[in-house]
Amino acid sequence: MSATTPAPLLEVHDLTVHYALPGRSRFLGGGKLRVHAVDGVSFDLGEGETLGIVGETGCGKSSLGRAVLQLVRPTAGSVRWRNRDLCTLPEGELREVRRELQIIFQDPLSSLNPRMTVGEIVAEPLRLHQPGMPAEERQRAVAEMFTRVGLRPDMTSRYPSEFSGGQAQRVSIARAMILAPRLIVCDEPVSALDVSIQAQVCNLLRDLQRETGISMIFISHDLAIVRYMCQRVLVMYLGQVMELADRDALFDRPLHPYSRALISAVPRADPQHLVAEIPVLDGEMPSPIDPPGGCPFHSRCPQAIPRCISTRPPLEDTGDGRKVACHRWREPPGSVPQMTRQP
Amino acid sequence: MVQRQPVGPDQTMSRLLAVTGLNVRFRTEGGALDAVSDLGFAVHAGECLGIVGESGSGKSQTFLAILGLLAANGSATGSARFDGQELLNAPPASMNELRGNRIAMIFQDALSGLTPTMRIGEQMVEVLAVHRGLGAAEARRRVLEVLQIVRIPDAQRRLRAYPFELSGGMRQRVMIALAMLCNPDLLIADEPTTALDVTVQAQVLKLLAGLKRHTGSGIVLITHDLAVVAGLSDRVMIMYAGRAVESGPVREIFSTPLHPYTIGLLRSVPGLEHDPAVELPTIAGQPPDLARLPPGCPFAARCGRVIDRCLTDLPPLRELRPGHLAACHRAGEP
Repeated sequence: MSATTPAPLLEVHDLTVHYALPGRSRFLGGGKLRVHAVDGVSFDLGEGETLGIVGETGCGKSSLGRAVLQLVRPTAGSVRWRNRDLCTLPEGELREVRRELQIIFQDPLSSLNPRMTVGEIVAEPLRLHQPGMPAEERQRAVAEMFTRVGLRPDMTSRYPSEFSGGQAQRVSIARAMILAPRLIVCDEPVSALDVSIQAQVCNLLRDLQRETGISMIFISHDLAIVRYMCQRVLVMYLGQVMELADRDALFDRPLHPYSRALISAVPRADPQHLVAEIPVLDGEMPSPIDPPGGCPFHSRCPQAIPRCISTRPPLEDTGDGRKVACHRWREPPGSVPQMTRQP
Repeated sequence: MVQRQPVGPDQTMSRLLAVTGLNVRFRTEGGALDAVSDLGFAVHAGECLGIVGESGSGKSQTFLAILGLLAANGSATGSARFDGQELLNAPPASMNELRGNRIAMIFQDALSGLTPTMRIGEQMVEVLAVHRGLGAAEARRRVLEVLQIVRIPDAQRRLRAYPFELSGGMRQRVMIALAMLCNPDLLIADEPTTALDVTVQAQVLKLLAGLKRHTGSGIVLITHDLAVVAGLSDRVMIMYAGRAVESGPVREIFSTPLHPYTIGLLRSVPGLEHDPAVELPTIAGQPPDLARLPPGCPFAARCGRVIDRCLTDLPPLRELRPGHLAACHRAGEP
């Protein structure tokens, strides 16, 4: 990391989330079936920094975000927040710390209580965490927060169902920001919104970050939006980190074949980029139940060699602040077969 | 290079579908709601028409109306001729004959397009039995062939799978296979890749591109995603609040957009080329409430170029460049 990077606020080490399934494996030993949602993920996050987490559905990115906040309890590993491990913190202390840690979800309407007014929804964290605050002061804080997220303060008496998706997402952002948290996990915060509204919400999050210096974990499957929102990006596949790099390094020169595949599959708003010429990554992610050995990506990798099937590549430091888990990352891209452009 | 079709309203290409003066209205508790107003367009054989719009733009209701699938409180007026035959309010028997046979559909949610209690193979064989009268062995051969075209691995075994046993990407490919079975003349794909990951999206879009090239089917691609339209369509129509606000050849739309809404949409999507240091321009405000549409231009309230006339007069679609139309009083101004 360069000298200008602020000290990490959050240090995630070897974080693992396994979900137990009913039933037993049909294979030797017949152990419990387990979904390996997150498998040994490590990263850190500085003050005011935004880390993007990208990957396909089922890669574990949402589980990772929830495990950082202890909304699902990790199976192993540690999440150090200002030098305290949240994984071992007693429930009472964890509740205190949670004021600083917030989350917003993809579908704003299903994450807002339909029976509460939006004013009550945004006031609720204050009521829980600052019970001594006089009602008047609370209302003032809520009205201020409404203005800050681009809603009119006179809207506080309305119900979530009266709002469009974009407005409802502004309400969830207001609820998340009301306690002045230091970390916010955004789990696909604009995916459910109309195109013309997505940019509004992205810009709002950027503005809030500029004003408050809050750190963000931005989970999304939309690489263009991640590029717009984040300074660093973590590429996940089957619960594991494939690549962790600065935004420009990743998008300009992705080292992992999976990063390359993801970036080249993004359709361009340019008629010169014909769909027929997009290089296609065949197949789908294997099941996270009893995932394959070796590199998790080997079954779809156009550059796989026998070692990729037998040995899991370690997450290596490439020397320029980037980490990549690929046996062949040192070979220049020209010397290994690239993805074919199929007819 | 894939050959793009020539474009323009009076090409010699055969018009597969010609829609004129289409209106779709819903009766609701709050009064009448005009989901589609005075819409006209054509789809030719072998071309892909991209229809872009946000929720409430009327892009999906247009085709539900044309195919006779409107909700009970909806009604349609105007005309939609498919190969010379009027589809609007046609008797159900003749629509059943066309749907799934000469006109096929792919929906965003593949689960709702497949029968949950039938194995994939049975559903596909049934389509061929009903529409083409094929026997079991022959139908099965064709089903396997199509499943291979859409690159379903281990197709023989998948025939016995139920829809819930397949992944999202796999289900969408089965939907496309189902739509391709009878070699439809017209394929309507409504947000076919919206729920999919980019890698799977690329697979599905490539399939559609291949289908267009190899079969000469006309394709209507309905989406909110301009980037999806860019790489596959020959012509594009942009809808807003139930109306076409702009239409034209795909290269024109992206190089010389004329309507402020189109311009705003193109600018507000962060492509991989956008400099992250530069704030994304946005379109202010929200789409209008269809039950309370303003008298003038439906986009006026959000438009940066609005003048008095926009608030009173509905701008007509005008051809401002060859084959390129826009509904804006100020489009074409220097």
